[in-house]
Amino acid sequence: MERHRYHIRSYCTIRGRTIRVDGTPFFAADPVTPLGDFLKSAYRQLAIDYPKFHKMDGLCKAIFIAAELIARESGPYERHAPLVFANRSSSYLSDSRHANDIFREEDPVASPATFVYTLPNIALGEISIRHQLQSENVFFIFDSYLPEFLVPYANATLEGQHAATSALCGWTEVTDETCDLLLYRIELIGQWPHSVEQLKRIYNEEDE
Amino acid sequence: MMRDEVYIVGDEVISPLGMGSAVNFQRLLDGHTAIAPVMDTRLCDHPIHAARMDEAQWTPLVRDAGRYTRLEKLFILALQKLIDKHAIPLDKGSLVVLSTTKGNIGLLGNPASTFPQQRATIPAMAGAIQHYFGFENPLIPVSNACISGSLAIAVARRLLRHDRRYKRAIVVGGDELSKFIVSGFDAFQALDDGPCRPFDRNRKGLNLGEAVAAVYLSTEPVTGAMKIAGVGTFNDANHISGPSRTGEGLYLSITEAMREAGAVTPGFLSAHGTATPYNDEMEAIAFERCGLSTIPTHSLKGYFGHTLGASGLLETVMAIHSLTNNMLIPSPGFAHQGTSRPLNIITQRTPGPLRSFLKTASGFGGCNIATMIQNG
Repeated sequence: MERHRYHIRSYCTIRGRTIRVDGTPFFAADPVTPLGDFLKSAYRQLAIDYPKFHKMDGLCKAIFIAAELIARESGPYERHAPLVFANRSSSYLSDSRHANDIFREEDPVASPATFVYTLPNIALGEISIRHQLQSENVFFIFDSYLPEFLVPYANATLEGQHAATSALCGWTEVTDETCDLLLYRIELIGQWPHSVEQLKRIYNEEDE
Repeated sequence: MMRDEVYIVGDEVISPLGMGSAVNFQRLLDGHTAIAPVMDTRLCDHPIHAARMDEAQWTPLVRDAGRYTRLEKLFILALQKLIDKHAIPLDKGSLVVLSTTKGNIGLLGNPASTFPQQRATIPAMAGAIQHYFGFENPLIPVSNACISGSLAIAVARRLLRHDRRYKRAIVVGGDELSKFIVSGFDAFQALDDGPCRPFDRNRKGLNLGEAVAAVYLSTEPVTGAMKIAGVGTFNDANHISGPSRTGEGLYLSITEAMREAGAVTPGFLSAHGTATPYNDEMEAIAFERCGLSTIPTHSLKGYFGHTLGASGLLETVMAIHSLTNNMLIPSPGFAHQGTSRPLNIITQRTPGPLRSFLKTASGFGGCNIATMIQNG
């Protein structure tokens, strides 16, 4: 029998054009809505004034929204709560934009505002600034969603911490039109066990 | 619960200064630098100073070389040497962690690329390397800006301590020069148009470099093993592309690494030292806050340039050779104090008994890491 020291306190999924918090729909748009428009509308639903949001790329925006909703649902994050993130395409949205900037035939020129987002962990920096998280960050790149890795790794990360008993983890795959995101906060106390089975269930929830 | 100690028991480096970590260390002792003027429109439409590899001398050693990208071939060469030297099994007991900031990104949108666009992704590169050797475990790629190399060592150490399936680990990191990377740093006005000068008052920016570096980790303290005695890694929560003015994240990182190592004073500091005005100033502030201002300090960026996802590994490996040889390596490009807080920058080869060092790194996104390494 597997023992679950940690639990999932709250989670947020953004799949297609639907955002759910703890399984309950928060915001949805027509499936053909362009990703940028969808994320902007979702930001408006948050009713906050955070001008930096508009400078971010799609990956950062999606992670920003999910982190905001989890904090609303379950309270402010611990200052030293580690961030354990993964996706498949790294910072593809900004990578492809920067590549287009420098290889296009007419007036090829790099934009610093784009280049700064060509690293996946910039999103962790963005939510760290927003929520004042001074904590361990790691961004893994996997072929597919891999709770089999993320669950034991997050447990091991928390075991080594002296100033945190919670972590924010996620699978955050965002490309031109697709958004496949699951962010979840783990703590000692929570409604769901922090297990591979539970995370598979949550990840597939909307398909049921 | 007491966890196993984890040791670095082997290392490998391929850089513009040569193939092999001992070769590279000797080149540093001899005062060679890999940084040189580069004029190549495939990288940049104006001349830059960079540390570029002439890989054609080595890549024919790769089997079916045409199937692999340039960077994959460099990864393969470094891994092959490490695996052969230490007879490392490829089975389920061997964990492989791969550090890179951008992998094969030079292929993306590049009209000169002969590989499918899909190959620009990190999982495709990791898969190609796994397939070449037949590793039973998929590689674990870490991409966390300029701390990736040091962070990958910390990730492998944690997995060796917590996951009994793993008996040993290889950590390998690499990045290559590409128009993608050069144009971006150039647009940031982060590049010095001459050789970089870490911590010097006339520093103007960094030089980019390319390298692949690897370490072999074990829980067995064999002769010559280097203990990973402490690690701390914290975000500044301040700015996505500028370092903190107070060095907060680096200060927290060093404090934690030293706490875990048990109040050991490091024999020297292997700093990040990119030679950008803000980075080096931030480091000087953090070192002072940690009481380390008088500890001999170097940046190796003046030899290798900033090798991004390789840098944490490359600089750790060179620092290990510094310990083994009891010889402090000078920090090239430094002449005059250039930070608001003084540092003890190493300006010449200095012999002396060395037992430990602290490696630090900081990166975009506000991330920082400090790692304490002890001899034996």
